[in-house]
Amino acid sequence: MLRFTPVSFVSTLSAGVLHSDRTSSFRVGDMLHPQGNSPRSSRSVAIVGAGIVGMSAAHFLSRAGWQVTVYDAGVVASGATGSADGAVSVASKKPGPLMTLAVAAVKFYEQLIAEGVLVDEYLPRSTFVVASDDEELSVLERHAGELEAASVPIRMLRGTALTEVIGAAAPTAIAAAEVQREGHAVGYRVVERLRRLGGFAIRRNCRVSGFTSSNGHITGVITECGTEQADAVLLATGIGSMHFLAESDLIRPRKGQLIVTDRAGADSPHFPGPLMSCRYLVSKGSQPANSAAASRSLGLVIDPLRTGQFLIGGSREDRDDRETADGDIVAALLRDAVALSPSLARLRVIRVFSGLRAATRDGMPIVGRVGGADNLWIATGFEGDGICLGPLMGRLCQQMICGEPPDQDISALDATRFRLTLAAAA
Amino acid sequence: MSGPQALVIGGGPAGVSAAVALARAGIDVTLCEQGPRLGGAIHRQPDDQTQSVRVPRAHKQRWQALSDELAASTVKVLCRHMFAGIEATGAVLLEDRNTGRLVTRRPAALVLAMGAIERVAPVPGWHLPGVVSAGGLQVMMKSTGRAPSGAVLIAGSGPLLVALAAQMASLGNAPVAVLERSPRLMSLRVIASLLRTPAYLREAAGYVGTLVRAGCLPQRGAFVTAIVPKDGRLSVSVRDRGGRERQLLVDRVALHDGLLPNSNGTAAHPNGPFLVRAGDCREVLGGAAALADGRLAAQAVLAHLGKRGSDSTGAELAMARERQAQAALNTLFDYSGRDPTELPDDTIICRCEGRTLGQLRAMLDSRDPVSAREIKLNGRFGMGACQGRFCAEWVAAFVASQHADGSPPQSSEIVGSRWPVKPVPISAFVTLPPSHPSE
Amino acid sequence: MSEVPSFLFDGKAIPHTGNETIAAALDRAGIHTLGTGQAGCAGRYFCGIGACQACLVIVDGTRMEACLTPARSGLTVKRFVPVSS
Repeated sequence: MLRFTPVSFVSTLSAGVLHSDRTSSFRVGDMLHPQGNSPRSSRSVAIVGAGIVGMSAAHFLSRAGWQVTVYDAGVVASGATGSADGAVSVASKKPGPLMTLAVAAVKFYEQLIAEGVLVDEYLPRSTFVVASDDEELSVLERHAGELEAASVPIRMLRGTALTEVIGAAAPTAIAAAEVQREGHAVGYRVVERLRRLGGFAIRRNCRVSGFTSSNGHITGVITECGTEQADAVLLATGIGSMHFLAESDLIRPRKGQLIVTDRAGADSPHFPGPLMSCRYLVSKGSQPANSAAASRSLGLVIDPLRTGQFLIGGSREDRDDRETADGDIVAALLRDAVALSPSLARLRVIRVFSGLRAATRDGMPIVGRVGGADNLWIATGFEGDGICLGPLMGRLCQQMICGEPPDQDISALDATRFRLTLAAAA
Repeated sequence: MSGPQALVIGGGPAGVSAAVALARAGIDVTLCEQGPRLGGAIHRQPDDQTQSVRVPRAHKQRWQALSDELAASTVKVLCRHMFAGIEATGAVLLEDRNTGRLVTRRPAALVLAMGAIERVAPVPGWHLPGVVSAGGLQVMMKSTGRAPSGAVLIAGSGPLLVALAAQMASLGNAPVAVLERSPRLMSLRVIASLLRTPAYLREAAGYVGTLVRAGCLPQRGAFVTAIVPKDGRLSVSVRDRGGRERQLLVDRVALHDGLLPNSNGTAAHPNGPFLVRAGDCREVLGGAAALADGRLAAQAVLAHLGKRGSDSTGAELAMARERQAQAALNTLFDYSGRDPTELPDDTIICRCEGRTLGQLRAMLDSRDPVSAREIKLNGRFGMGACQGRFCAEWVAAFVASQHADGSPPQSSEIVGSRWPVKPVPISAFVTLPPSHPSE
Repeated sequence: MSEVPSFLFDGKAIPHTGNETIAAALDRAGIHTLGTGQAGCAGRYFCGIGACQACLVIVDGTRMEACLTPARSGLTVKRFVPVSS
């Protein structure tokens, strides 16, 4: 992990708050570079995509002394980052590399809070995975065991304990696994915080259409705003990554619809963390992107937001029409939500939105080097885990690009498993 | 899940006119009104027929004629049905407040005739209880047949201020003052422009006569600079044309800075019905124009359905006449509101989310230009229950005033185009029957 | 049922004419503050056409615009008070 003196960093940030950081961002940047382990470098990196992965990588690369420019075809957080549920959670992960990475990612959020990088953008709390019948209970017990085996702190709630903690909100629950030490982070708020910390440039509404190269080495990015030199390039474009790759069907959009309610009142349900229906475990990852089977499924998470609103989600659909939400899916989600927590019926839906997750063919993210160039990296395909994994992935990308050993084993995500190459047009 | 051939949203003059015209051409029409009775804001019907507000005879006759035509037609009327938007498969969502259910309809054509919404320029304290939009106060007065109680100050700009003041005076509680921001007076030129629409001149003369007798003619060039609560009432700082400030202690403040089409964020949907707007919902030209525009909307629907309608020349001429009259009238008013750069930082801009001008200003102090998306997501402006309808324009205008270069965010981007176009109770949502029963 | 038709607003009987909205009845009773609002700005009657959402009250458990909802005897109407989590 990158070490620096956190005390002065924190005090500078808290004085800067969120408003006057035009000056504080430069102070933070100036302060960080001499204190980081990495030598000061004048090397430049172009990051394509201003979502949570790209912006996190920009933050860490700038701290490592790189000259960083982030390019986005839209504005910051305009893709999946801006329409995600914000779960920083291990609760729904299946055993394997993703569960291990999610555990590390949660710890990394805690570290970023301690360091003052993320101040108010991460809310630690438990997730409650709820079983409402015996079948769900057996799934829950097995799942809780798997999480415990990965050293995730779990408390099984039954009887009185269940009633005291979430029973009033979920009267049909027969048991719940409280997955402790998880959290919530709003993707666009994390990105905004990193933007405000500064230290790098952002080119908005500046689509990258390709790269200039020489002898298997990228020398720059070709953009709508002209061609700019770069010593390294990181593609962090989520669903947009497919435009850059020769295998355009490797990453597919998987749409998710989410519902926002108005604020809770005295008569609204109250619970200390998100309620996740055990059924979510069945839904999640049950359909690889290349499955020809039914192309949509519903999970159920009822998430009490800090604003007092509830976020209710979500669907997983193999579709790419992000701008629309359909009545059937929203009504089905709400019926499930009300079945789990009846007093939710007293609230109103004020917004329904959709996002497109980037789903890979094998359900695992793609992080590593792209073939055909020795200085082109990619980090994409996080599907529903981008907010959880984003900051950690940004850090790992920085280490990868700097040639440092990564803090986490990401060999399972290595891009070479697909022999990725750039599209001819790119 | 099927539906009528045509669904008309809004039971004001435009909606009723469109519905009647469609029914007359043999179309199966359903007319939805969100409130308990038809009439819209302009022809709001009294709760008790024996107590009613004085309205111009032309208005009364217009509505009576339209009501008679409706009664004689085959139009199916659904009151307390709110339009919630068009969802992804193209179905129109309606919230039935009588039953508490959400239902879908798949009409071939949808006429949106949801009238106008008022512009209320932000001023410190505009968000307080006791501050009401002038139209809101007028609607309540028309419904109850009573003048609003207590000392009332009317301020802003537009012909509505005078109409409201005169109606209040007729009901025995004239406002303590009427502040019209525009210093311009009725001119011969405007009068000449209105000669083709003499009803406006008669209406204006009637209101002015009432206000002369009540001793509360509008103070031109005067406006409100701040409203603060004081001893259960509202203390209002007023600046007159000469720049002099004074305080008024009142019970209510009615604000109004013109009207905007209630665009509602609803756009035509590729899977959805043929969509046409009518009346103030399309272009704010008032009740007489709404009648004609409803007929034109019906013509457009008939053309889409491959049916011949009646001759629309008369309606088009009426629209042209009303457009000219409104343009002439509008030269007398000043809808700009206060220059936001003169407002204090703690002025509420987005009431729903409690967001202030200072918080908006703080979003602009960075070297990066700010997008509508960031204003909403990070700033939470326009993210509340009214979905930006009352703040988007002012937010966009302020951002544009601070960022002269580049392309500042548009008001329509802040309002967005997502359904539900208004909050829908979850209790209603869960009643929506699945269109694919297998799920 | 009492002689004068009324509904309850935060426990207080509010008379109504039988043909008016909750907003009109509350206004006649001199009640202008309709709760603490969703985010710090107090609830109040404002636009009268259901657009501004400022007059939201809880009618028999469901949140509704006071300006669009008919007053009926026996209704239990409450101010909306948010709980911050």
